Amino acid sequence: MLSEKRKITRPELLRSLPELERPITLRIKFVKVGDLQYISHLDLQRTFNRVLMRSGLPVWYTKGFNPHAKLVFSTPLSVGTQSICEFLDLKMDREMPLDDVKDMLNAELTDQMYATEVYIPETKFSDIAFCEYEYEIYTENSSSEFAENIEAVLKTSPLNLVKKTKSGEREIDITSLINSVSAEYDAQSGAVKIRAVLSAGSDNFLNPEMLITALKAKLGILSGDPMQENYSIVRTKALTSDLREFH
Amino acid sequence: MNRNISTILKAVSKPGRYSGGEYGQIIKNKDEVKARFAFCFPDTYEIGMSNLGMRILYGKLNEEKDIWCERVYTPWLDMQEQMKEHGIPLRACESGDELTAFDMIGFTLQYEMSYTNVLNMLDLAGIPLRSENRDDSMPLIIGGGPCAYNPEPVADFFDIFNIGEGEEMLPELCRLYIKMKDEGRYTKAEYLHEAARTIEGIYVPSLYDVSYNEDGTVKEYKPKYDDIPRSIRKRIMTDMDKSYFPKKVVMPYIETVHDRVMLEVFRGCIRGCRFCQAGIVYRPVREKTPEVLNEQAKCLFESTGYDEISLTSLSISDYTELEALTDMLLEWTDENMVSLSLPSLRVDSFTKELMDKIASVRSSSLTFAPEAGTQRMRDVINKNVREEDLLRAVNVAFEAGKNKVKLYFMQGLPTETYEDLEGISKLASSVVDAYYKCPTRNKARPPQVTISVSCFIPKPFTPFQWVAQDTIEMLEEKQKYLGSKVTDRKVVYTHHDAKVSRIEAVLARGDRKLSAALELACKEGFKFDAWDECFDYDKWISVLERSGIDPAFYANREFGIDEVLPWDIIDCGVTKEFLIREYRNALGEKTTPNCREKCSGCGANRLGGERSCCPKSAK
Repeated sequence: MLSEKRKITRPELLRSLPELERPITLRIKFVKVGDLQYISHLDLQRTFNRVLMRSGLPVWYTKGFNPHAKLVFSTPLSVGTQSICEFLDLKMDREMPLDDVKDMLNAELTDQMYATEVYIPETKFSDIAFCEYEYEIYTENSSSEFAENIEAVLKTSPLNLVKKTKSGEREIDITSLINSVSAEYDAQSGAVKIRAVLSAGSDNFLNPEMLITALKAKLGILSGDPMQENYSIVRTKALTSDLREFH
Repeated sequence: MNRNISTILKAVSKPGRYSGGEYGQIIKNKDEVKARFAFCFPDTYEIGMSNLGMRILYGKLNEEKDIWCERVYTPWLDMQEQMKEHGIPLRACESGDELTAFDMIGFTLQYEMSYTNVLNMLDLAGIPLRSENRDDSMPLIIGGGPCAYNPEPVADFFDIFNIGEGEEMLPELCRLYIKMKDEGRYTKAEYLHEAARTIEGIYVPSLYDVSYNEDGTVKEYKPKYDDIPRSIRKRIMTDMDKSYFPKKVVMPYIETVHDRVMLEVFRGCIRGCRFCQAGIVYRPVREKTPEVLNEQAKCLFESTGYDEISLTSLSISDYTELEALTDMLLEWTDENMVSLSLPSLRVDSFTKELMDKIASVRSSSLTFAPEAGTQRMRDVINKNVREEDLLRAVNVAFEAGKNKVKLYFMQGLPTETYEDLEGISKLASSVVDAYYKCPTRNKARPPQVTISVSCFIPKPFTPFQWVAQDTIEMLEEKQKYLGSKVTDRKVVYTHHDAKVSRIEAVLARGDRKLSAALELACKEGFKFDAWDECFDYDKWISVLERSGIDPAFYANREFGIDEVLPWDIIDCGVTKEFLIREYRNALGEKTTPNCREKCSGCGANRLGGERSCCPKSAK
């Protein structure tokens, strides 16, 4: 559960803390799930600006005519994908306990988007090479065989799909962007669960929706009534090029 | 949110409109709630979330432990298609429950062109449109807001209207509902009668029989019971300092129209422009003190994190303590990187000092509303602004480096001549000239003067309520004429669609006979008529014709001074005698001083009101 709300107004807090010579960079690891999967990257930036303002945290603001907080987010998350491993780097000009930063942030967030860790980063976002995703697919006649079919489709090579881009549609082979994929049937929930590690570098990013596009194209599923067939995607891990968890 | 809806949201534009989950939304335990209220804004999420009245009433109702108020907006066209395809009814944002699960459904009626959305929403919720077709098991449908001052065109669909300010009235309606349910004596008929009898400001249209003369005008309104009011007087909050103020608001994730702190400085307007409905129906003026406002602004800044505070009221520069208030705000807003904005500026009170205070707003453009092009025309509408005032005001802006000015005008005003229209273009050109004469102007940028011209619409409870609107042909002819007179290339001329304005006039001055037309419009799928991409004039005319309605009877007919008007059932505080007097002054091109200069005896002081400029009334 989230911590009790502690309200410290910004000026008071500033006065009580020692000022830093140079602003310090903090990394916030956060969760963005449920209804919040529909909030776009741009809206997320605006939301965090307000969250930081409300929190009273001693965020460092750019000087000049239009002061603003410098917020840097890791790999963008497509609308419709949830995540338990988002990262945001921001700068503060006062030092304070990292646990307090987390508490003050969470006091202004909801149970569908909240900080899980706050720390001083030792890595760069450009170190992220892959992301791991978990899919749940609900269809009418699900079974272990069906899960095998799904896995087989996603392991086909080449896996050619039509990709919509700004300049029109073109066919691409996504095989090289899939690092690993497995699917299994979960009898309890009736869902097929897929675990996939996909390329997430800045120049070879694979939108996790593309696997759904593949299944729609090759198996004809998830194109019917959403009351009967539906799916969810959660980003579960950010990984470096040697597949270690990014931190 | 359930998985099915979730999948649908992947197929629509701006899914953040429907996903909910905002910071600040209020979730209650259904078991502890005795009245569930669905507050509907009949337009998109982005517009509805920007409405101050809805923020206030949402907070106010949810203060009561056993009442849970939720929000509902009109789903955009693509979402409606998905809902229809998959048999999903309209749901409330917070709980995701269907509207039929609610005890009461409230609609705020902000503009006439949203009426079709009201019916569209009832239809999406699977609720019968007409009050008479809804039994005791159905939610009560309640209407309020500015258009409720003439509720007659939508009277057949609503069970109850709230006339005036709802902060007290709405909770009272809920309390009565809870009481009657608790005592086991709730029936819809009993409830409606008791509400009409005991709660001031409540209008139950079904309890009044309307008869008509042979010529189609209203003959009389007859109450069905002796113990309900013969006319319904509007409710107001008398002391705005003590009036409920929401300390927290629901924070949208997606960008909305007014995405900022809205600080309501006062209610009412001292001016009395003769076309303006808001200027009459929100009387008397009631101010908040700057100390209270400063506290409220701080509180909202801390609870929202917004970086802009907009001082919202009808004519903000008329606030008696504007200087004190802005000084107090600036003491803390600057260091917190919060900027101040003023939505509307009057040219006669626009000064350099004022602009310096709001200079932190990064826009290079300023907006003024001279409303008419000649002094004669401005005297008719009682705008009480002179050309020199405008030129002085724009000069202040130009000296400060601004180069863009937007001017609002109206065409089709009563007694308007082609000379008055040409005056609009001349006035715009003299603003351009003023720019070039200004020695300290921003020489790097050329001036840009935009004139935005809307069509006059006669509105209930204004001195022009009897006036016939120009015909479509005349309005369009005048638009063309004005267009031909705008030859200055630094002037950009835009105008409203005359056809929309005509339908708006029909709905604004309509009576109950229009309900049949609106019902037909709903059946034929009308929605979002305030949006250009949806409005279809020919379809409207066809629907009106087939319902036996002559639009000219409502829009283009001069109403008789002695005629019973459809909205005579409502008492907005201002007397009909005053409106008649003002109408005659208009025709005589005589201006009336503003309320602060001299009381003109409009009658609104009978309602009471602290920090108003009205003389005390015996009441």
